[in-house]
Amino acid sequence: MSGWWFVGSLGEALFFASFFLVGVVCFTTIVGWQFLSPSTQVVRIGYGFWLLTTVSAACIVLGAVGFWYRVLKVATSDEHREIISQRGIVPRPKQLGSKSILPPSVPPLTPFTDSPGAKLAFRLPCEWKGTGALVAYGLFAMFWNAMMAVFCVFAIGGVLKGDIQYRLFALLIPGIYIGLRSGQLFLKSYIQAIGIGSTTLEIEDLPLIPGQKYKLLLVQYGRLVIKKLSIRLVCEEESTYHFGTDIRTEHQIVRQQIILDQGRFRIDWGRPLELECEISIPADAMHSFQSLHNAIHWKIIVEGEANRWPSYCRNFPVVVYPLARTSQLKQPS
Amino acid sequence: MIRLIGLQPTYMPRESLEFEYRVSNINQSMISAIEASVVWLTEGKGTEDLGVHSFQRLTGNALSAADWTVPQRVVVPLPDSPLSYEGKLLKISWCVRVRFYLNDGTELVAQQPFYLGTITKEV
Repeated sequence: MSGWWFVGSLGEALFFASFFLVGVVCFTTIVGWQFLSPSTQVVRIGYGFWLLTTVSAACIVLGAVGFWYRVLKVATSDEHREIISQRGIVPRPKQLGSKSILPPSVPPLTPFTDSPGAKLAFRLPCEWKGTGALVAYGLFAMFWNAMMAVFCVFAIGGVLKGDIQYRLFALLIPGIYIGLRSGQLFLKSYIQAIGIGSTTLEIEDLPLIPGQKYKLLLVQYGRLVIKKLSIRLVCEEESTYHFGTDIRTEHQIVRQQIILDQGRFRIDWGRPLELECEISIPADAMHSFQSLHNAIHWKIIVEGEANRWPSYCRNFPVVVYPLARTSQLKQPS
Repeated sequence: MIRLIGLQPTYMPRESLEFEYRVSNINQSMISAIEASVVWLTEGKGTEDLGVHSFQRLTGNALSAADWTVPQRVVVPLPDSPLSYEGKLLKISWCVRVRFYLNDGTELVAQQPFYLGTITKEV
């Protein structure tokens, strides 16, 4: 940020104040005219009236919120503002029951414990990064090919009537090629996603506590020959920051340990591979942490290489609690 | 001035943090408000995050009722997390922060860092 911050904040506050005033003037004029002098009204009740009323009300709300946000930013300290935002407009009720034992700034445990395992206590949720790409490929292929189909109907209809549209045919040739390639790309991604088979990971207990050991059970489904399979426990830092007008997120692995490294083996339908192992959380490990722009994540990463398939990687996030919380959790109730 | 009442600036989760603060060379009538807070903040590559664990604001009668000839003592029980941490992309640090707001619009800030937990700092 350059320049004198006070002038910038003042400018922003004035901008939102003027927005608010314009909204109030427009709103009162439109609504007041409507009720006080209906005979001389310019805008009759209808789409135009409701549109102008909505826009004016939006200006009032936007201006008021923006103005007070800027004023609070100048008039109060960071700590005071944070306290105001924590309390909210209406004070929050105190947390009761199990939620009250959640340590501050640690991600909640609920998404990790709502799925019981077949042999061990919990089945961990899988975080697969390829889902977004697969959906995007699928949607693109579907819409593009639907569009090409409509154009093909027009082109064929023209041919049947004896009116051959050469420009449409010239456009259809590259269009159909793109449609076929996008379909091929989607099918390839889909087969890769389902072909290797699912991976499930079960764990003895959650949350994880520094200095403790836990049993793990990996189950790999599918019909394939695995060349190499490894399980790693990873601690990763995540930071989000503004870079010009972009918002960027950076990841950095700060700690990792290999839990299992398995060589070549074969898996068949109905006979999944089951591997048992043990993870040990280092006694000096940092707990999981989550704030608005920064985070510390712990996860178990399963990586595999299979014959005739590209290598795959599946992440299973876990939560590590701070050591002090452990004693309370382990106490009998 | 802020002074932590303790032999070393490292505290364990759930311990009580005891500190005192005072302002010297300023007439008490010149102070319009005081904010004493215990906060954690992140530093590093990411945008800075701030968490307020304890916040106390003194104004008006509460401010004039205080005896400023002796340091003001505050006791705050510390939470379980986040623990102080020094990583590669981010650092989590704790501090006691006191802000004095004077009648002429001046703002004085004093800050005293401390460690929560012993992950990156040995006792």
